[in-house]
Amino acid sequence: MKYFQILILVFLALTLTLSSCKKDDTTEGPEAGTVVLDFDHVFGPDQLEFSLNKEFTHPLLGEKMNFNIFQYYVSNVRLKKTDGSWYTVPESYYLLDLSKTDGNKIEIDNVPGGEYTDVELLYGVDSTRNVSGAQTGALDPANGMFWSWNSGYIMVKAEGTSPNSATGTFTFHLGGFKGEFRVPKSFTYSLNDKLVVDGDREAEIHMISNVARLWHSADKLSVKSSHTMPGQIAKTMSGTFYDAIKFDHIHN
Amino acid sequence: MSFYNFRLFFYSLLLAGWFISCQEKEQSFVLEYPDYFPKPVYGFDNNPLTREGFILGRELFFDPILSADNSISCETCHAQAHSFADHNLTFSTGINNQTGLRNSPAIINAAWQPSFMWDGGVNHIEVMPFAPITNPIEMAEDFNNLIRELNEHPRYPQMFREAFGNPEINSQKILYALAQYMSVLVSKDSKYDKVRTGNADFTEDEGAGYTLFKNYCAQCHVEPLFSDFSYRNNGLADVNGDTGRGRITLDPEDNFTFKVPTLRNISLTYPYMHDGRFRNLRQVLDHYSEGITAHHNTDPSILKSGKNGMNFSETEKQELESFLRTLTDYTFISNPHFSN
Repeated sequence: MKYFQILILVFLALTLTLSSCKKDDTTEGPEAGTVVLDFDHVFGPDQLEFSLNKEFTHPLLGEKMNFNIFQYYVSNVRLKKTDGSWYTVPESYYLLDLSKTDGNKIEIDNVPGGEYTDVELLYGVDSTRNVSGAQTGALDPANGMFWSWNSGYIMVKAEGTSPNSATGTFTFHLGGFKGEFRVPKSFTYSLNDKLVVDGDREAEIHMISNVARLWHSADKLSVKSSHTMPGQIAKTMSGTFYDAIKFDHIHN
Repeated sequence: MSFYNFRLFFYSLLLAGWFISCQEKEQSFVLEYPDYFPKPVYGFDNNPLTREGFILGRELFFDPILSADNSISCETCHAQAHSFADHNLTFSTGINNQTGLRNSPAIINAAWQPSFMWDGGVNHIEVMPFAPITNPIEMAEDFNNLIRELNEHPRYPQMFREAFGNPEINSQKILYALAQYMSVLVSKDSKYDKVRTGNADFTEDEGAGYTLFKNYCAQCHVEPLFSDFSYRNNGLADVNGDTGRGRITLDPEDNFTFKVPTLRNISLTYPYMHDGRFRNLRQVLDHYSEGITAHHNTDPSILKSGKNGMNFSETEKQELESFLRTLTDYTFISNPHFSN
């Protein structure tokens, strides 16, 4: 009996030593850390600070808009290292939701330590996840961003009130991942500088997102105040919005 | 002493191993289907089929907790006695006595279906139940509310633990469990199947009907599942109210096309067509025989005679109907495992 107990103790001690040894070996160079993608939301060419429940006048349409919902998906984040290789963030799906504190920020943990020069983002949700059944997290259909009658994600949701709309409200649920009406769009932004990821060191990428651009090539709210399905309108509105999302600066 | 203990240790390890493998065996719960069926579309890739998952799905399917006012369950409009279609209603009744525009489809051999709904709008069996549960005119439930109710329920947290290893309840697990239950609803014991496996013979009428069926119907209602799961315009008159598949694809060519439904258990799922316009099989046969309306995209296979249909004689209609009744699976509708 005693031999047996000793044997177990020795075995345990050996495993502990071995596993703690392993950890020490890998701590060379910069450590993995968190990268934050911070989207500043503005309205119109004057870059008015955007927020929900605040009245704006659209510069092109000349119509008033007061938003109570503004949500959109960002996914498939990749970061390019100085050596030209890419780090692909696993399970990378984020729902920006301006009704939430820090709902404009994406936190990506466990990014390998190092220096990065470019970021690639997909606005919307890739086709695969639109056809892969029940998802969780940002893609949970319970988030209200999934069309039940026509399976697929609502990639941009903008709702609010407007005295110019015949109904007094506006409702835009934009999405679609098939063929000519495909909404998801990928962009690569040069960070102009090197983003350093090293443990607790701050690594933030600041983007500017202009909500007014949804109506850059769309009808006035007095003509069309609602669109809640895939199609040309969804593609045009989301496209002009995505195209205008700009990289601004990094914080290191 | 030490040797004895070691031996004991070794035997207990063996015993533990045996227990574990036994439990595995108990849990392995496979989808059973005849060898003449194709491979199912749904492979349970992220949602391994287990007895506990199936039982949870069944419990949810029969529970009105899934509707906003806890008045309607899935079973309300998908009853086993009718092959999991509605109780012969043209349009099902949702909460607050609301009705929709389409006839409730049967749930049979769902694991073989590449898409769901009359217009194919739902692309995966796991998200299928999300549509009726959240539709404001059907069950009108909010998933976050449903999750709260299930968490407060005396039995569900334990059932979720048994099915998925932990008691956390989320929409994915609800949908996974329902997908498991629906997938297990396999109809494979009709007289047609018994004939196919050499365990029965068609009567003369049924046999003649089968020959007619193969000549006139099997192109779309492909055996052994009795559908090719395509979307076609079958020449119904007055379809202006519902554009069908066109609403999903946004292609005008798909307007007024609807899914080719399975014919298995067809005698139980009346009324027929996406809008339940035909009360019985005879009306359906009359439609294909002499009632076809030629729209711009009416399927050429039903217009081939150049007339308003296939011009079946009275005898032929009777023979076809006899054959269609051989697709009724009484074992399926009385299977006690399918009901709670």
